[in-house]
Amino acid sequence: MTEKVIIIGGGVAGLQAAATLLELGLKPVVVEKTTHIGGKLNDWHKLFPSLTPASAVLAELKSRLEGVEILTGTEAAEITPRSVTMTDGRRMEADAVIVASGFDVFPAELKEEYGYGLYRNVYTTVDLERMFAEGRVHLHDGTAPRRVAFLHCVGSRDEKVDQRHCSRVCCITGVKQAMEIKAVFPGAEVYNFYMDIRMFGPGYEEMYREAQENYNIHFIRGRISEAGETQDRRIQIKAEDTLIGRPLKMTVDMLVLIVGMKAGRSNGALARCPGIELRPSRFAAPADSFCSNVYSGVPGIFYAGTVTAPKNVGESINEGVAAAVKAAGYIRSKP
Amino acid sequence: MAIERSINWGYSISRPRAVDMDANEHEAAARLLRKLPELQACITCGSCVATCTAGNLTEFNFRMVHTLVRRGEYKGAYDELNKCMLCGKCRLVCPRGINTRAVVMAVKRILGEY
Amino acid sequence: MDILQGEIFRYYDHFVIPFNIGVWVLFAVIVYKYVRWFSRLTPEDKSLVGRGLFSRKVFGAVGEVVSESLLHRRIFRVDPLLGYMHMSLALGWFLLIAVGWVEASMHLTEGFAPLHAHVFYKFFAPSPAGSTAETVLSNVMDLLLLFVLSGVALAWFKRLRSRALGMKRTTKHVVGDKVALAALWLIFPVRLLAESAQAGLKSIPSFLTGNLGEWMVSALGEGFVSGFSAVAWWVYSIVLAVFFVSMPFSRYMHIFTEIPLIFLRRFGLRSREQRSAFDHFQIEACSRCGVCIDPCQLQADAGIGNVQSVYFLRDRRYHNLAGEVASNCLMCGRCETRCPVGIELNTLRLNSREKFSALPADDRYAYVATADRSSGGGRVGYFAGCMTLLTPRILHSMERIFDTAGEQVWWADRDGGVCCGRPLKLSGETEAARRIMDHNSLLFARHGIDTLVTSCPICLKVFREDYDLGPVEVLHHTEYIQRLLSQGKLEIGKQDILYTYHDPCELGRGCGIYDQPRDIIRRAGRLAEAAEIRDNARCCGGSLANLEIGESSQQRIAASLSYHYRQTGADILVTSCPLCKKTIGRSFGEVKDISEVVAGAIRQ
Repeated sequence: MTEKVIIIGGGVAGLQAAATLLELGLKPVVVEKTTHIGGKLNDWHKLFPSLTPASAVLAELKSRLEGVEILTGTEAAEITPRSVTMTDGRRMEADAVIVASGFDVFPAELKEEYGYGLYRNVYTTVDLERMFAEGRVHLHDGTAPRRVAFLHCVGSRDEKVDQRHCSRVCCITGVKQAMEIKAVFPGAEVYNFYMDIRMFGPGYEEMYREAQENYNIHFIRGRISEAGETQDRRIQIKAEDTLIGRPLKMTVDMLVLIVGMKAGRSNGALARCPGIELRPSRFAAPADSFCSNVYSGVPGIFYAGTVTAPKNVGESINEGVAAAVKAAGYIRSKP
Repeated sequence: MAIERSINWGYSISRPRAVDMDANEHEAAARLLRKLPELQACITCGSCVATCTAGNLTEFNFRMVHTLVRRGEYKGAYDELNKCMLCGKCRLVCPRGINTRAVVMAVKRILGEY
Repeated sequence: MDILQGEIFRYYDHFVIPFNIGVWVLFAVIVYKYVRWFSRLTPEDKSLVGRGLFSRKVFGAVGEVVSESLLHRRIFRVDPLLGYMHMSLALGWFLLIAVGWVEASMHLTEGFAPLHAHVFYKFFAPSPAGSTAETVLSNVMDLLLLFVLSGVALAWFKRLRSRALGMKRTTKHVVGDKVALAALWLIFPVRLLAESAQAGLKSIPSFLTGNLGEWMVSALGEGFVSGFSAVAWWVYSIVLAVFFVSMPFSRYMHIFTEIPLIFLRRFGLRSREQRSAFDHFQIEACSRCGVCIDPCQLQADAGIGNVQSVYFLRDRRYHNLAGEVASNCLMCGRCETRCPVGIELNTLRLNSREKFSALPADDRYAYVATADRSSGGGRVGYFAGCMTLLTPRILHSMERIFDTAGEQVWWADRDGGVCCGRPLKLSGETEAARRIMDHNSLLFARHGIDTLVTSCPICLKVFREDYDLGPVEVLHHTEYIQRLLSQGKLEIGKQDILYTYHDPCELGRGCGIYDQPRDIIRRAGRLAEAAEIRDNARCCGGSLANLEIGESSQQRIAASLSYHYRQTGADILVTSCPLCKKTIGRSFGEVKDISEVVAGAIRQ
């Protein structure tokens, strides 16, 4: 009989974990709460910094899943090292569990002062990805924007919404989308309002410089404090240009909120398992941050991807490999 | 005068351009930070200045004032902070959770004599 | 001379010396305090007193003195057992003195009977004649002593198990209070022993002291009881003296302060934003009962235990009030509604802050003189308030409501305005606040409005209390919206949504607006009330009145509040203050301002 490993979450980390387990000769079962696998990758258009289509990465991952059992529309409610109980009451036995349940996108409505969901021309980076994917980027009335502002750190590094952490990938996302806007509307002015620009990955800093030099994107160091809507549905924003030390006001056609990563809601259910610990940010805490990144601290439960912290797609896929190898090793070392 | 006010070059003729950390007295700033250590957590995002009710009506930059105070530049800080109406908007937008109104009151109390 | 000596020493024993010293010290200090406080009252306050003394208000005051200083009815409302404890001590002791006076006056008929002869009546009592009146009186006195002793026993018990008397936490007392308290606790048990021994020796019959005395004599022998009695009277006199001397300097000054306070309050005297001599009557009327501690969320949620009203009043009374204590208060007013003495805790807290801020320079806020960013025009003025500018959903909802009702509106501050002045006032900068209040008053007058609507309860309170807006009617948007609904200018449909409602402090306890928002919510959906509402509603923690607490304390207070409201099972928490909305929004799911609920339910 082949040993079974349940993988919670069918996003990039979970799918790569399944593919690796298959290669190692174990039997992976992917439990996905939505109706289809692929996770957030389904919502992204192109991935930074190479602008690789997200669909291409997803297709590659899916091609490695021949023979993997996938249960969509199924949500885990209770996790132990030897079993997973679903919200519908079904219980499944396993030899190990990999939690790859991902993150939630920060709900921008919580920052009421930016008017998301209230002003028609305020969008999030997620909305913009969808519009790029659909090939129709435009304002609420269907016209083209002439002036666009991006706001970094919405729902990141913000105590006021209990999001103290840095979500890491939003800086590069904002730069990428600013460039994409310029590519679609070469005549548009694009402004990025930032507190710090954190370009941690390979090719990211280069992309930032390209955005400044070749795309003429304006970077203004200051966080927008609030937005208002004019009679003609344009968005008035207020910030301080901190490098000058004076308040700055500006009216734009489109305000894009670069939303951060929030710990997954499902982490609440995960934390009910004895021995599992969450960080103050509600992301899961691995056994340590160096040699045991994919260990949960509970033997038999492993982590992969953004369940433990904000990560980019590549890092999440790598953790899928690592968690699968460690799970296999755990099963085989058992007497 | 009007021109001088509208263009802030960051220096003036009467005051030395450099912040002289060797010559400046730091005790008052240290007292302020002992009372409100969170002020060191300011990441100079400028939200407080952007939303400031007083700063909307007059030249007043809370962030600049408290940063200068933290460098031992006390001159004028008391009078500047007296422009603040203590409305509390800045506290609501501060991503670092700094008790900005307490900062205003504490700086005024500590630097009353400057 | 001999006759005089005979008169004085007729009722004398050396043990009465401590008692007499105590009484006269007490009397002297109290007279000194009264003279000082009354003479320093402002001329207006003095004239109020002058007029009040010859009005019917005196009768009301007498009634209140009986009901509060003796019966302690307000404490009964906190907890019946706690009320009984306070009543037994106050009423019991009062009756012991009054009935004792009657008893002594009846029997100490030979010559002049000084005060101590009344107080130590059992000692100086002639041997019993055995009349019915005498027996009845000594039994009544025993009953009263038992009544007081039951209170003392409860007070001891309260130290061990305060929860049994409805208090989670009791006051942490200073040394002076502990001395006075120890003396007070000793007075009645010692009195019981002294009087019993005496009754035994003199064979004065009564059910408590008489029987106990009789038993003492029979069990211990007359010689022993005689010696014991001498010691007991000395101890009784000394503990009385200790208590009397400590009284004016300890919490027990409240006994002599609450009574004039009740009269002065009935005559219309109030504490004001500047300190005044009347404040003394309130500050020293605090008995440090500690009823204010439990409702304080700084204690319950933030673990701050030295700033509650009882400690604030104590520190202020002894002139060692720290700025950090004066400013560390949400000024939510929950304790004020519970204070059995009815002390104006918020006003006293406010006027104590004034000391910590400097007088404004002449040109302070000169820049507001030209500020007018208002737009639109109409008889109705809308003042959003600074906080509302950060909650655009409220602004949009109000716009929608004004449009639907066909109201022409002058927008005072939608594009930025001048603060209402209350935050400055709450920070003790009263004079500075006046500057910007004057500016806003002129602004409102210039635009010729007859109604001023605001969405911010903080602004509302200051407009109503400190602005002189003449004929302009000031309304909170809950009042305004309710009026539109009642007049039929606005129609909303009822939806199947379960709401719960949070009373903002400044709107509820501050302005007495409780019913209007609830009426509106019931028109829009169903209302599930939380356990602590209306004048017992909790503060969100975001209060501008607190200048001390940091982010984490604010969040803890808000989280505890959110938990409280989640118990109702409501889908949406409704409030009517932008600051409350912002503060609670972090920890409760969906929080809406009442204007959003209304705007979302408008029937076209």
